[in-house]
Amino acid sequence: MKYAAKRLLMLLVTMVIVSFLAFLAFDLISGDPATAMLGTQATPESVAALREELGLNRPFLVRYGEWLLGFFTGNLGTSYNYKQPVWDLIGTKVMVTLCLSVLSFLLITMVSIPLGLWSARRAGGRLDGVRTAVNQLCMAVPPFFTGILLSWVFGVMLHWFVPGSFPGLEHFGSALKYLFFAAVAIAIPRIAMTVRMLRSTIMSEMQKDYVRTAISRGNDRGEVLRRHVLKNALVPVVTFLAQTMAEIVAGSIVVEQVFAIPGLGRMLVTSISNRDYPTVQAIVVILAFWVVLAGTVADIVNQCIDPRLRLGGDA
Amino acid sequence: MLEIRDLHVKFHNRDREAVAGVSLTIHDGEILGLVGESGSGKSVTAMSVAGLLPRKSCDYSGQVLLDGTELLHADRSLLRQVQGRDMGVVFQEPMTAMDPLMKIGHQVEEVLHIHTDKNKQERRAMALEALAAVELPEVEVVYEKYPHELSGGMLQRAMIAAAIIQRPKLLLLDEPTTALDVTIQAQILELLKKLNRESGMSMLFISHNLNVVRKLCRRVAVMQRGVLVEEGDTEEVFHDPQHPYTQRLIAAIPTRKRKEDAP
Ligand SMILES: Nc1ncnc2c1ncn2[C@@H]1O[C@H](COP(=O)(O)OP(=O)(O)OP(=O)(O)O)[C@@H](O)[C@H]1O
Ligand SMILES: [Mg+2]
Repeated sequence: MKYAAKRLLMLLVTMVIVSFLAFLAFDLISGDPATAMLGTQATPESVAALREELGLNRPFLVRYGEWLLGFFTGNLGTSYNYKQPVWDLIGTKVMVTLCLSVLSFLLITMVSIPLGLWSARRAGGRLDGVRTAVNQLCMAVPPFFTGILLSWVFGVMLHWFVPGSFPGLEHFGSALKYLFFAAVAIAIPRIAMTVRMLRSTIMSEMQKDYVRTAISRGNDRGEVLRRHVLKNALVPVVTFLAQTMAEIVAGSIVVEQVFAIPGLGRMLVTSISNRDYPTVQAIVVILAFWVVLAGTVADIVNQCIDPRLRLGGDA
Repeated sequence: MLEIRDLHVKFHNRDREAVAGVSLTIHDGEILGLVGESGSGKSVTAMSVAGLLPRKSCDYSGQVLLDGTELLHADRSLLRQVQGRDMGVVFQEPMTAMDPLMKIGHQVEEVLHIHTDKNKQERRAMALEALAAVELPEVEVVYEKYPHELSGGMLQRAMIAAAIIQRPKLLLLDEPTTALDVTIQAQILELLKKLNRESGMSMLFISHNLNVVRKLCRRVAVMQRGVLVEEGDTEEVFHDPQHPYTQRLIAAIPTRKRKEDAP
């Protein structure tokens, strides 16, 4: 418990650093947003007035401090483009992407863990070559390609959903159905990777001495796997799944384009091309938070699994 | 009690047989010592008895009879009934032989889990009893510990507790003291002697150290390159070794120690 609190504190510190870097980066790379908003025809006076209005003349640290404080109070700034609070703009999109990510993640864990176990048990069998080939193939196909394929087959041909018309989260059932195909596209390569790593971890655990001890007590293969090996193989898998969270976020940016899902990824792309920095910053920080949070959760879960990791946490 | 008849084991990836025709008998309540240099086939002999040979990657022949039941060629389900219940095994490295993520207590009572339908409290009570029988202090505390929290000597005691919890007829000890320092080693030997005296459990004690064997076993068998070269009363073998290999093994023990340890 002490460790969990420590980890959460670390999470907070990391987020402050990430947000600072995001803020700094956009401050450096941004061309002048005032000029951008007013166009090249603008008079220097009107640009200066707008800079004043946007608060761009004040020192960097002051602006950062205000922005960070805003984050904790739910005020993510005002969009340059839409002149609306950023949160009003991205709120529902955050939820859409969250649904897509969670769906992908559930798909990945629920499919890859049983499949990994099965594949480890069958290791060395006749179909090993086939399994490896299928695995390689799945790992190699990029989500956007699978996405196009899926929306063509299930959308255009089978009419299971209508590509391009996302029903919105109010219609939760049909929204989930729509998101499901996008989630599949994201999940396939990660499932292949997770299966492969789970399989190799289990196989190397099976070589360990404690397995021999377990067998010498009269356990059968299945019991050895369930009672001992699975838990030992889980730690690296949990870490890997946390990294998967980051991949899902990256994958969703692309896949949202393919499926025309109004999520954060699409919003990010539009905001970048519009130089809408408050929006871009907010999205970047939210995505970073999502990834860092996944890492923190993974660490805490691993602590629960492996008592040896608890020592390190208290030291 | 245990009879090994003309045991041969050859691994597919080796040219030479690891065990090339070993016959051995262990009588009721006896501790038999098995010595020999590294690679002489001691562990493979013990693994054959314990049903731990990797059957797919070796050829094996002969017989292993535990109270008349053939084990070498027995199918897995029969073997599993014998493992843990009639036969316990203790390995050289207690640290790696234990599951790092399982509490000591749960590992000790695992045999009960597999072979009996005792409930949680009964299992726990028996595990605590077994931990006490191997002379561990504060058994309730030890029960809750994980392997990395105990010393090698304590872990090896816990391993022994796990192996004897169902009072097996036979205990196989594959260099159980080699990884421990000398004082701990002596304590473990005393413990084994006591267990043997009190419960009449037969033991196969493997070591490459003749001196250790001499302290514990009345009878000893000497192995070299997969065959038994000498077998007999420990003191006789010690004082009047017949085989040149045994003579070399004995000569390798420092003289001062030999005198010191002479009865
Ligand atoms: N799983 C295995 N696969 C291939 N060869 C093996 C295997 N296990 C043992 N061997 C070989 O069998 C021979 C006998 O090994 P064994 O482990 O029985 O020796 P040992 O007498 O126990 O030696 P040590 O004192 O080092 O434990 C060795 O040559 C070893 O390399
Ligand atoms: Mg050995």
